[in-house]
Amino acid sequence: MAALLEVRDLEVGYGSIEAVRGLSFDVEAGQIVSIIGANGAGKSSTLLALSGLVRPSGGSVRFQGTDITGQRTDRIVRSGLVQVPEGRAILNPLTVDENLELGGWTRKDQHTLRAGMEAIYALFPALAGRRRQLAGSLSGGEQQMLAIGRALMAEPRLLLLDEPSMGLAPLLVKTIFDTIVAITKVGTTVLLVEQNARQALRISDRAIVLSHGRILRQGPSVDLLADPVVIEAFLGKSG
Amino acid sequence: MSGPRRWLPWAVILPIVGLDLFICVRNPGDLDRLLINMILALSAFVTLHAKLLSLANAGFMAIGAYASAIISVKLGLPIAVSIPAAVLICAAVALVIGLPVLKLKDVYLAICTLGFGEMVRVLIILNPDLTGGSTGANLSTGFPYEAMKQTRTWMLALLLAFLAYLFWAIARSRIGRAFRALRENPQAAATMGIDIVAYRRFAFVLSAMIAGVAGAFYAHSVGSLDNGDFKFNRALDILSYAVLGGSGQWFGSILGGGFLTALPILLREVLGSSIGFLKNFAQLPNIINGLALLLVVIFLPGGLASVFTFRKKRRPGAAAAHAPPERGRPASGTPLLVLDEVSRHFGGLEALSKVGFQVEEGMICGLIGPNGAGKTTLINLVSGLFPPSSGRIVWLGREIQHRPAHRIARAGIARTFQNIQLFRDMTVLDNVIVGRHTHIRTSLLTTLLRLPREGREERSAQGEALALLERLGLAGLAEQQAGNLSYGDQRRVEIARALAQHPRLLLLDEPAAGMNEVETARLGEFILELKQHGTTLLIVEHHMDLIMKICDRIVVLNFGKKIAQGTPALVSRDDQVLEAYLGRD
Repeated sequence: MAALLEVRDLEVGYGSIEAVRGLSFDVEAGQIVSIIGANGAGKSSTLLALSGLVRPSGGSVRFQGTDITGQRTDRIVRSGLVQVPEGRAILNPLTVDENLELGGWTRKDQHTLRAGMEAIYALFPALAGRRRQLAGSLSGGEQQMLAIGRALMAEPRLLLLDEPSMGLAPLLVKTIFDTIVAITKVGTTVLLVEQNARQALRISDRAIVLSHGRILRQGPSVDLLADPVVIEAFLGKSG
Repeated sequence: MSGPRRWLPWAVILPIVGLDLFICVRNPGDLDRLLINMILALSAFVTLHAKLLSLANAGFMAIGAYASAIISVKLGLPIAVSIPAAVLICAAVALVIGLPVLKLKDVYLAICTLGFGEMVRVLIILNPDLTGGSTGANLSTGFPYEAMKQTRTWMLALLLAFLAYLFWAIARSRIGRAFRALRENPQAAATMGIDIVAYRRFAFVLSAMIAGVAGAFYAHSVGSLDNGDFKFNRALDILSYAVLGGSGQWFGSILGGGFLTALPILLREVLGSSIGFLKNFAQLPNIINGLALLLVVIFLPGGLASVFTFRKKRRPGAAAAHAPPERGRPASGTPLLVLDEVSRHFGGLEALSKVGFQVEEGMICGLIGPNGAGKTTLINLVSGLFPPSSGRIVWLGREIQHRPAHRIARAGIARTFQNIQLFRDMTVLDNVIVGRHTHIRTSLLTTLLRLPREGREERSAQGEALALLERLGLAGLAEQQAGNLSYGDQRRVEIARALAQHPRLLLLDEPAAGMNEVETARLGEFILELKQHGTTLLIVEHHMDLIMKICDRIVVLNFGKKIAQGTPALVSRDDQVLEAYLGRD
């Protein structure tokens, strides 16, 4: 059976910078796959190319067997591939409720929209008490939950997360990683970009290590956690 | 720019120059109009370039025209006196109305400056003795109109050449760089020590003077002045020259003005006589111009000038090894920064309440706490982005809580931003050189006279910027557009830019966000190195390994209040801190 997402020879460039130089990997349904790598290795660019926010300069992306290379983001979202952007990008002047409603833009009727929102509030009880509050007044951790919640409203089969733990207090980092595990339990596949490599490898099934726009390693996360190259480059000495 | 599109700049320049030359030869009478409109286009460019949507140009043109005409006709003075006097009057008026008007932004500024233009016209109509009122002033008697005709075109051409030189020289100087920075990100520019209010005022006054001189020449090229020449549509025409040309590069406006002036003349001259019905179709030129503007705005949002790309020639500067200036071993324990009962509310929300602590020279002070605890608010207060609601911030013994950001930057406090605020369209190297702004002392005069001092200062600023980039591992990215870099690299550019200011105190707001553990550890070593060289640091960060390793003192905030302060060892055992922030394992 074909994988949920098949990426072949993907290339992304900005001006004279070649950010991604020929990536090929698969994401199987039901898994958490993490992408790790140094700054400028091409992690975010890869996600942007998958979700259609940046047009790839080469290669192909197939999602659920259909070629989506270079398609418009709104079409890609409708087909079930949704990204939570780096830096959250929630709509500050709108309320929590309104942010979620916008996330459910692709849902046809009010009934499923409400049901979807209740499911999000069940997943993030911290947000439930703040429905009418402006998103901009939430703390950083709550904003991240809202950004993930908003993406889930589009009922993704594949969720792309770009550095969900960035800028969060240590207590919240754990909560966010627990949440990621929780959303895969309800059948969503996750492709996760993280600087917090250790945590990312711990919760993911498979991982891809990028370096200068190319794949340095890929395989089961357990193996990579023990890989000397990965330890040297991303995990540091401390255990 | 890659091979296949190398013809593009020529495809823009040649037809326009051809068009303009055609007008010169076929209809020399229109040449003055062409030159005057090009000068007017530059006046609109100045304000647009400084991100001021001003429609005052027609008003200043009217002031220049009437002032010069009245001085030469009524007072009988030569134009060598009347034109400079008219320009100075425009400058004075611009200074005065700039005080209130420049506080406005975007559409509000546009409406207000449009009102100014109408006011000028009303004043002209209401003083018929002086101006001829609504019927217009017949200026041909006693007026150096005929005598001037010969020399006027040459004077206009010389004036345009001088303005072109002025713009060219400014664009490549620190002033031009400051304008580019302020147009991309005024907040970040202010924290580099750039006085954004003064720069905007300078742009507004310069624009008024240029419109004034164009108006004065206009007065002396027509037999009689009519207030109807300076109506709303004149203001829009002038603005459209600059919009067509693009607000990024000055020469674009000259092209834009040249094109929009020459095209209707050409149409009338050539088509009008051959195709009968067009002859009476007075609106045709407006339609064609509108269409041209529409096409350019849609297909070339950066204007005509955006088809030109310049590879900057960098003179190989002294990329000499640079170490931050040694301040000698500071007398440890001297309080550098003192916060005393500092509070700040936003509406009903109390972001900071009565926070007090001090930072001594030579130390690394950490500032930690849950998201939303008020850490970034505190950094914003110290760097002067907004004042505290109450309390005192004392820097080297002086209260600075009400100083604007650029003065705080000049006093020796630099910062980075949690949500990165680079000048995204500028190169990495230029971003860092903006950090040197207050240290490069080149004046406008030095720039215009091209004194060797400017080259020397620019080279040394560039050399230092390159050395800083090298130290942060960014040397290979110097010529890239800053906005194209990855998140973590952008953070490093911000640090380099702040260090270029040679700050005595460096405020870092989450410098390690977006970096992995190995990169974070490297950043920690770099920060310790800065401390060795005598820089004092206040750091907001969530990477606890980093904070605990490098900080001499840690201040912990929660819900806007200070809940703990002390050495890393002390703070990491504190019950309240464990509860609110670190968590217990």
